[in-house]
Amino acid sequence: MKTSKKLKWILISIGVIMAGGISVALYFFYMPHRNVHAAKADLQVTAASLIEEFLADQVGSNQKYLSEDGDSKILNITGHIQSIEIDFNRNYVVILGEMELQASVSCTFDSHTNKQVESLQIGQNITVKGVLRSGARYDEDLGLFLPVIIEKTQLFNVNDK
Amino acid sequence: MKILKFQSLALITLGVFFAAFTNVNKLISNKTHIRFYSSTPAENIEANNYKSTATLDIASGDVVFSVPMQSFEFEKALMQKHFNQPDFLDSKQYPTAKFVGKVSDMNLLNLEKEGLHKVKVVGQLTIKGKTNPINVMGDIVVEGKEIRIKSIFEITLADYGIVFVKGKPSTNVAKSVEITVSANFNK
Repeated sequence: MKTSKKLKWILISIGVIMAGGISVALYFFYMPHRNVHAAKADLQVTAASLIEEFLADQVGSNQKYLSEDGDSKILNITGHIQSIEIDFNRNYVVILGEMELQASVSCTFDSHTNKQVESLQIGQNITVKGVLRSGARYDEDLGLFLPVIIEKTQLFNVNDK
Repeated sequence: MKILKFQSLALITLGVFFAAFTNVNKLISNKTHIRFYSSTPAENIEANNYKSTATLDIASGDVVFSVPMQSFEFEKALMQKHFNQPDFLDSKQYPTAKFVGKVSDMNLLNLEKEGLHKVKVVGQLTIKGKTNPINVMGDIVVEGKEIRIKSIFEITLADYGIVFVKGKPSTNVAKSVEITVSANFNK
């Protein structure tokens, strides 16, 4: 009687540990992507200051804005709309910049936020929120200034109405 | 009179300067797609990136791609995290990958002609700070004002210092992965 009671508890313990292990494995396997739209911005910047920061110090800016696991800084960015494009994936891309700057900030919207771009116009001053993927720099092989790349963009505010 | 002469001279110099440095043959594209595909008996892994910048020189055949590594998106969040981490692509230290190459015999190609042109591209691919020569076959499709380029090729991860000796990645990530590169240019 005593041994069977012991056995029962051992079996229950094993069952609980296994269920726990499977839950943890399933959690990691189906772990959702970070929801950039729902998250709060880590920093507020202007398009001009962000560009200048990267052009002045590439290594330091990468350290500041990029994360090792790819979930890099979420930013609120304010700037003037230079152009509006559509990418290969049929998402809207709003290019923010200032006349005197050689590089720009390329903000790609997604299937949830594309509709917000339809009311925007070139020259407007807007604030958007999105995740930084890579910084601005001059590329000698391309012979071009690469933009700061922002994805999962959503419109935060239109500053001049 | 002297001032006028100086002004016109300055204007001419400026004009020559711009003509020399503005290459009218170089097309630029932000309409790009790079797909990463790994296949093993354990699982298939796919990632897509639409944020590369590419240039194509229709006279010399020079092709350049700059690829922001953190823009690769995976279906599973955990895979995307692994992909970016130091033991895989180390995207914080190496935020961009680059291809610099040349379309062979570009001068024999008539890009005024509509349709498909099969080409050979020779170049250097840099991933995670390591550069290797690569040789790929590609398609150039001319349709109206648009020039579309596409190539599918394989790369060996170990060539770029990406090696898994144990754990799940060693069985679930292929040693050799398939890369599909596309870009659309406007003439």
